Amino acid sequence: MAAHSSAAVAHTGNNPFLRAVAAISTLAGWCSAGMIVLAVVVTCQMITIRFVFNGSTVWQTEAVIYLVIAATLIGLPYVQRLRGHVNVDLIPISLAPRARMVMAVFTLSMSIAIIGVMVWHGYEYWHLAYERNWKSDTIWGVRLWIPYLSIPVGFGLLMLQLIADLIAVLTGVDKPFGLE
Amino acid sequence: TELRLSHQWSTSDIRHQVAQMVADDVAAADVDLSIRIFGSKSLFKPREQYRPLSRGQLDMTVLPLSYAGGQQPAYNLTLMPGLVRNHDHAARLVDSPFMDALEEKMAEDDVMVLVHGYLAGGFAGKDGCITNPDDIAGLQTRAAGKSFEQMLAGANASIASMASSEIYNAMQTGVLDAANTSSSSFVSYRIYEQVSCYTPASDVALWFMYQPLLMNKTTFEGLTEEQQTALLEASANAQAFYLEEAKAQDAASADVFREAGVEIAEMTAEDFEAWRALAEETSYKAFVEEVPDGQALLDLALAVE
Amino acid sequence: MDPLLLGGLVAIMTILVLFSGVSVAIGLLIVSAGFLLVFDGARSLELMPEILFGKLDNFALLSIPMFIIMGASIASTRAGADLYEALERWLTRIPGGLVISNLGACALFAAMSGSSPATCAAIGKMGIPEMRKRGYPEGVAAGSIAAGGTLGILIPPSVTMIVYGIATETSIGRLFLAGVIPGLLLVALFMAWSLYSTWKSGDATRLSSGSYTWKERFEILPRVLPFLGIILGVLYAMYGGIATPSETAAVGALLCLVIAMIIYKMWHPRDIWVVLRDSTKESVMILFIIAAAGVFSYMLSSLFITQSIAEWIGTLDVNRWVLMLAVNIFLLIAGFFLPPVAVILMAAPILLPIISTAGFDPIWFAVVLTINMEIGLISPPVGLNLYVINGIAPDISLKTILMGSLPFVACMVIAIVLLCLFPQLATWLPDFVMGTAV
Ligand code: NA
Ligand code: NA
Repeated sequence: MAAHSSAAVAHTGNNPFLRAVAAISTLAGWCSAGMIVLAVVVTCQMITIRFVFNGSTVWQTEAVIYLVIAATLIGLPYVQRLRGHVNVDLIPISLAPRARMVMAVFTLSMSIAIIGVMVWHGYEYWHLAYERNWKSDTIWGVRLWIPYLSIPVGFGLLMLQLIADLIAVLTGVDKPFGLE
Repeated sequence: TELRLSHQWSTSDIRHQVAQMVADDVAAADVDLSIRIFGSKSLFKPREQYRPLSRGQLDMTVLPLSYAGGQQPAYNLTLMPGLVRNHDHAARLVDSPFMDALEEKMAEDDVMVLVHGYLAGGFAGKDGCITNPDDIAGLQTRAAGKSFEQMLAGANASIASMASSEIYNAMQTGVLDAANTSSSSFVSYRIYEQVSCYTPASDVALWFMYQPLLMNKTTFEGLTEEQQTALLEASANAQAFYLEEAKAQDAASADVFREAGVEIAEMTAEDFEAWRALAEETSYKAFVEEVPDGQALLDLALAVE
Repeated sequence: MDPLLLGGLVAIMTILVLFSGVSVAIGLLIVSAGFLLVFDGARSLELMPEILFGKLDNFALLSIPMFIIMGASIASTRAGADLYEALERWLTRIPGGLVISNLGACALFAAMSGSSPATCAAIGKMGIPEMRKRGYPEGVAAGSIAAGGTLGILIPPSVTMIVYGIATETSIGRLFLAGVIPGLLLVALFMAWSLYSTWKSGDATRLSSGSYTWKERFEILPRVLPFLGIILGVLYAMYGGIATPSETAAVGALLCLVIAMIIYKMWHPRDIWVVLRDSTKESVMILFIIAAAGVFSYMLSSLFITQSIAEWIGTLDVNRWVLMLAVNIFLLIAGFFLPPVAVILMAAPILLPIISTAGFDPIWFAVVLTINMEIGLISPPVGLNLYVINGIAPDISLKTILMGSLPFVACMVIAIVLLCLFPQLATWLPDFVMGTAV
């Protein structure tokens, strides 16, 4: 689904906070795209090693899995900024401007709350893995705090972008639900 | 009180039957205790059961303990090539200081064992039989378990890591030449359609995996004395059943392969010693290097006759 | 509380939350958290990030960004337009030829993309403006692309089939083959409907546009070759012993990127970034829904709702066709709300034992399930393809898109009925290529 128009980017106006958050989210998006490309490269390397050289491939599968997970979680704020997270806007569209505003503030606040829960428990989970030095049960034995780090970081940045979106709606820099 | 038990197996699997036996017996004891079984990975993914169990978010599980080897490296001894020779030997291991030492490790994670049990497995080859380390050199092999990967790499096999659900297809298209997994997985993934030779567990077998029924210790201690007794009695019955069924499964898997026209090979005592010598240089060595008290634990296991 | 009643409550709450305009993935997390907190206590809430991570911890999911990159890189070149034009030059004489070439292009594109929205977007970007320009009703233009796009998950490669294969431990290679004939059947049904509706509109002559000479028709054929190259390359990797199906996705992505850069000269970093940005955006969106749907299904399972529904369906009737009808209704309703991959992750492991007990073939069932999911993709409230079309052509109202899609839903229901009458439509090809399953 490559063709959503990219015109619907969240507006930042001249608000320095909104601009800073937008920049951070964009950076996160680059990292995410980079990790997806890396996953393609590693998979193709694995196929080559196995098919052409008949060699062992012990770490690639795991590396690819963690790359895709990290790409997903780190990519969340960027996709939020691009309004890429699909939603059902039948009701918001049919609401009067004022009600739509209330609805937008409500859904954004709920989103921030639930993502806050994910950040908090995600951080605890990461911390547990770090403290107890958990590893994956493979020859490669990755220290799990490294991939787990993407949970608090990804959700933390998503929360930041959601807060920025809420501020943008409240200050009138952006329209509720991005609807004109 | 209702306890939640999670496992990854289907209802026809022996490990589900063990869990069901315990649940039925506990219910029959009428001590206000019931066990709700979430089978077939319906609650947690196989490798994600141990952590909730150790933190009391899950009450019970049946799982290969080596899945938690990344958190307690000592558990890697429960899927170590050549450590267990046959099911009777496995039964003696369960009753030994080795198992006591492992249970101490589990207690650190607030986990205790209700039902002990080992299941065996074998090798299957697409174009030939795999009985000796020489047989596997140069073959693209999918092994179940880290220690086995280390040993097979030592035998110059090429290790391909993939999900067990991909074995069938990978063998069919020729991505894989050989695989090593449990007897029941060989049958349930219908690997007999794709291989020419099967080396099941028989008098001696290389691949034994410890797959106990575990419970959260604090949850257990929070039960009344009557409930605890009922649970322990049910578990003792189930353990006896588990051992008998485990033996029957190996023979049953060989029958399935034989009926499918697959050649059945047997691992001799000499083959076993050759594998074990290889394992000592590869997986045992790696284990001792990785785990601080690894040598002591390994010696405890090897001391069991 | 009775799990079935609780299930009803979850369904109502999910609808309410999703209709509030919150992102689907976040909405699923909100509903899950709410029910876990009230009915399961705080200890389950702690597990949410862990479960979410665990749902993503699966190699097969790699194929999602890979198949999306395949679609996006090709869609960013002239290749799609070539394919589209080739079909049009050959089909222009037929009244409604344009809508038929669109459907054909969707089917061909589906053979390269594993996701329906990707197919929908790639062809719709060119197809919808073209059809509107030539005077097709907006509903037909939007509906045919929305429906044609759903072929992406039936015609291999298919992300949905991969996920089904993982969830039910059935052969992915076999599943892919099973989708081919039903996919072609659907294309035929869609085309038949399009022809009929064009003919009925009375504008048949106006709708068949300028004519092309035979020279022009043959001239364009070589430009379709890269498509065939990619399709053959992917098939060879998958059935020729080079890679497992989920790995094949990466080969396909690389092939498409390379073809885009070399043959279509898309070597400017900016162009490549646009492809990567769009792919990342769509992949992250879908993967986040999968992850959140995983948490949602954990909640349903933890509260014993899924199991109770499965039991309830199991006790409905002894007649297997009544059972199949019930299963279809369940899938259809689930598909209304959840993306296909989420439904499959939730439903397949529960439904498969029921289906097998009733004597249905799991490979055949995968096809029926997939067509159900296709219906969900073009039906409210979470019809992903409707929103993709809405994104491409923002000035066509959602209602028009929806009404235009409805006749195609009927085609899909007919296809399910045909599959029930003639199961060989799904099982013949895999049996022919890979031997009879035991
Ligand atoms: Na496809
Ligand atoms: Na829908």
